[in-house]
Amino acid sequence: MSRSQSKTNFQIEAYKHKVVVDSKYADRIWRLLEHAINEIYNQNASGLSFEELYRNAYNMVLHKYGEKLYTGVASTMTSHLVIMSKCVENVHGEMFLDELHNKWVEHNKALRMICDILMYMDRSYVPGSHKRPARELGLNLWRDNVIHLTGIQTQLQNTLLHLIHKERTGQVINRGIMRNTIKMLMDLGPPVYQVNFERPFLEASREFYKVESREFIECCDCGNYLQRVEARLNEEMDRVSCYLNPKSEVKITNVVEKEMIANHMTRLVHMEHSGLVNMILDDKYEDLRRMYNLFRPVPNGLSTIQEVMTSYLRETGIQLVNDPEKLKDPVEFVQGLLNKKDKYDKIITLAFNNDRNFQNAMNSTFEFFINCNPQSHEYISLFVDDKMRKDFKGVSETDVEVVLDKLMMVFRYLHEKDIFEKYYKQHLAKRLLSGKGTSEDAERSLVLKLKTECGYQFTSKLEGMLTDMKTSRDIIDGFYLNHGAELGDSPGLLVQVLTTNSWPIQPSGTCNLPAELTSLCDKFRSYYLGTHSGRRLSWQTSMGTADIKVRFVNGQRHELNVSTYQMCVLMLFNDTDQLTYTELERATGIPSLDLKRSLQSMACVKGKNVLRKEPMSKDVKDGDVFFVNEKFTNKFFKVKIGTMITQNETEPEKHKIRERVEEDRKPQIEAAIVRIMKARRVLDHNNLMAEVIKQLQPRFLANPIEIKKRIESLIERDFLERDGSHRKLYRYIA
Amino acid sequence: MRRGSSKKGSTNSTTTSTNSSAMDLFRSASGKAATKELERIDQLFYKYSNESSGMIDPEGIEYLCSDLEVEHTDVRILMLAWKMQAEKQGYFTLEEWRKGLKALHADAIVKLKKVLPELENEVRRPSNYVDFYSYAFRYCLTEEKQKSIDIESICELLELVLGSQFPQQVDLYIQYLKTQIDYKVINMDQWMGFYRFCNEISFPDFSNYDEELAWPLILDNFVDWVKSK
Repeated sequence: MSRSQSKTNFQIEAYKHKVVVDSKYADRIWRLLEHAINEIYNQNASGLSFEELYRNAYNMVLHKYGEKLYTGVASTMTSHLVIMSKCVENVHGEMFLDELHNKWVEHNKALRMICDILMYMDRSYVPGSHKRPARELGLNLWRDNVIHLTGIQTQLQNTLLHLIHKERTGQVINRGIMRNTIKMLMDLGPPVYQVNFERPFLEASREFYKVESREFIECCDCGNYLQRVEARLNEEMDRVSCYLNPKSEVKITNVVEKEMIANHMTRLVHMEHSGLVNMILDDKYEDLRRMYNLFRPVPNGLSTIQEVMTSYLRETGIQLVNDPEKLKDPVEFVQGLLNKKDKYDKIITLAFNNDRNFQNAMNSTFEFFINCNPQSHEYISLFVDDKMRKDFKGVSETDVEVVLDKLMMVFRYLHEKDIFEKYYKQHLAKRLLSGKGTSEDAERSLVLKLKTECGYQFTSKLEGMLTDMKTSRDIIDGFYLNHGAELGDSPGLLVQVLTTNSWPIQPSGTCNLPAELTSLCDKFRSYYLGTHSGRRLSWQTSMGTADIKVRFVNGQRHELNVSTYQMCVLMLFNDTDQLTYTELERATGIPSLDLKRSLQSMACVKGKNVLRKEPMSKDVKDGDVFFVNEKFTNKFFKVKIGTMITQNETEPEKHKIRERVEEDRKPQIEAAIVRIMKARRVLDHNNLMAEVIKQLQPRFLANPIEIKKRIESLIERDFLERDGSHRKLYRYIA
Repeated sequence: MRRGSSKKGSTNSTTTSTNSSAMDLFRSASGKAATKELERIDQLFYKYSNESSGMIDPEGIEYLCSDLEVEHTDVRILMLAWKMQAEKQGYFTLEEWRKGLKALHADAIVKLKKVLPELENEVRRPSNYVDFYSYAFRYCLTEEKQKSIDIESICELLELVLGSQFPQQVDLYIQYLKTQIDYKVINMDQWMGFYRFCNEISFPDFSNYDEELAWPLILDNFVDWVKSK
């Protein structure tokens, strides 16, 4: 109540608009909305006022008529959808999808507008009533009334699949409509997409590829088949990116892989004339790479490839090491091994993606078959020997390194490295002492590599040998520097001073040197001992060579390269025309076996027979007489006369080497046992065996029986004892 | 490591010094008897001993054996030696004699003869037998630094020491030792190994024998040899 006053003062009250809302009113509002919806669906929305419709919907919800609104909207939409679906249903063939899509577009347009109008309902009525929001309602209604209508559903599925099949057989289809249709299904939610499209799609694809794979495998070779599979896979991935749900990519590729690869894996790999083995044989890197990539996602795919490759490698490897042709020539034998290693390295790098598993499998296979033939150890050393003598001289350093690195790879596979070492030492000694020189840089490089691989112990003596050679050169230089003047006419002397322990040579006695040489040798000896007091020098006349100039009576001149022993023999003929064997033996002091061999080489070998023997038999007997052979001819001025080695000397020599290696192993095993027990104090039998084998593995594979023998020997010598109560334990005795 | 023995020594002396008077009485009473016993033991010793060496030598042992009515190759003589802890094969010193006979309470031949079965039982007890077994080996080491015994002697010793307990194993093993050529002597480790072997490994199938374990190599070869027959 306002109080009237003299002043004009009035209050403004809020405008209370009383809206009468009864059911009749609600009906009226609803009819307005219903009409609007119909107009919207009839493409007649332009005449409507958004504000008014929004207000109407708002009022309905506000006055608790939300339910009526919601159900009304639902039923109105439904009736329109039913009409739409009838339209679509009646279209067959090519236009079906287009019609469907058009209707979908229409519906979406209408739905958008309707959602705008019903915004308030979505906000206030829907949450409390556990109903779906308007947009979702619209989509669900579409799904239920259109898509899941029997007539439409089957036709939709069939059409889609038919088109895809068409495309797979090489025809062009309308990808746009495919994309739109699939998008519609995706918009309706993953279950709709899966049920209506994806599942049948995968099923149909499975069938398709099953048939195709069977067809292809009959008429294609492996390489072609794989190419086709690759093409198909690319096609499917393209399809997915173009008009399918990206999530389907994995599934469809799985189907292709399973049907085309997994089901036929064994047959492909073992295919005659074109399978994995042939690809390897012919170095078909691209095919192999394709196979690797295609097999990778398939279970057991890569392991199948690996198995086949390994067994083929093993087979050919064993063949290689036992091939009698190759065994005749050590250099070829080893070259064969290196070539094989190269081949497989390349395959694994270029085609198999440097896969670790493949590398390991290859390595263990190589290890296996190289050790199958125990001669491998000797042959590898002979290969090195050959290379050092010939090929490495004058070759660039990098090239040498490449070959040596490859050699080291093969060396690592050897189980009995100490046997290799023994041969290598012998061959190295021969190379260094042969007087022909060898590539010193290459020798040092290889010894360094061996040291890195096997440790100082392995190479200490080898290094000693190389050092001796260098030191000897310095000594001789020093000798000539100091005494050069007084030596004048004496024969030229080249001395190699060898440290006894480093060289695999048995020191032997000296023979009687010719007078021309004795003073020279003595001078050297005193020079050397002058600078290195406290050492002992002994001339090894069983080795060494001499270059002698010879003038025959008929005027022929030659320069002969002979062994020291042979030189001693020949020099005697300066003073007399003939000598019996016995006289020779007495005069030279050479052991009889060596003397006989030396004489045989000079009297019984064609082209080298500077001496004549009576009688002319091949064997040298005590009573034989020797003359200078005035009829000696050789087209060369320089003639090298070697010393004969009889064939049956090489076998026992190999035997001796093996025996010596076995003997050398015993102290090494004992040293390992003592080292281990000293550190552990107490250790049980099995662990001790395992540790010993492990420690010795870089040099050789220790034989368990031999280890046991050594343990017992150490027990007997009171280095170890068995534990009183626990019989499996050994105790170290400090 | 030294501590153990010194402790032993000290405890001994303390017990004797802290004995009660009753024990003193008893001791003085038995003391006389003890010295008498010792005297008789010594007398018995001099009966068989060699005058110049002061020990009982092989000849003396033979006499002893005939008095005891026992073969001098009988295992019981060996057991007697064990009881005495005799060091040298075929000889008994006075100390050893005293030690053995005192422990057996035998100061006359008759008593000694009677006590032999008891001695045998004592030795055959499993706890003592291992000791006896290893003693038997050591007893046969005649030279100064000898560590092993030749095959012939081993075979005899085996028969003597284990023949009654494990006849089948011993027979087979002796057969093997005589036929094989790898080993000319047996050392202590191999000797003891065989005893363990008889005790632990089932015979004649050797089903629980594991070659990978720490058995001496000679036994591995033995088992192989038997299995290959």
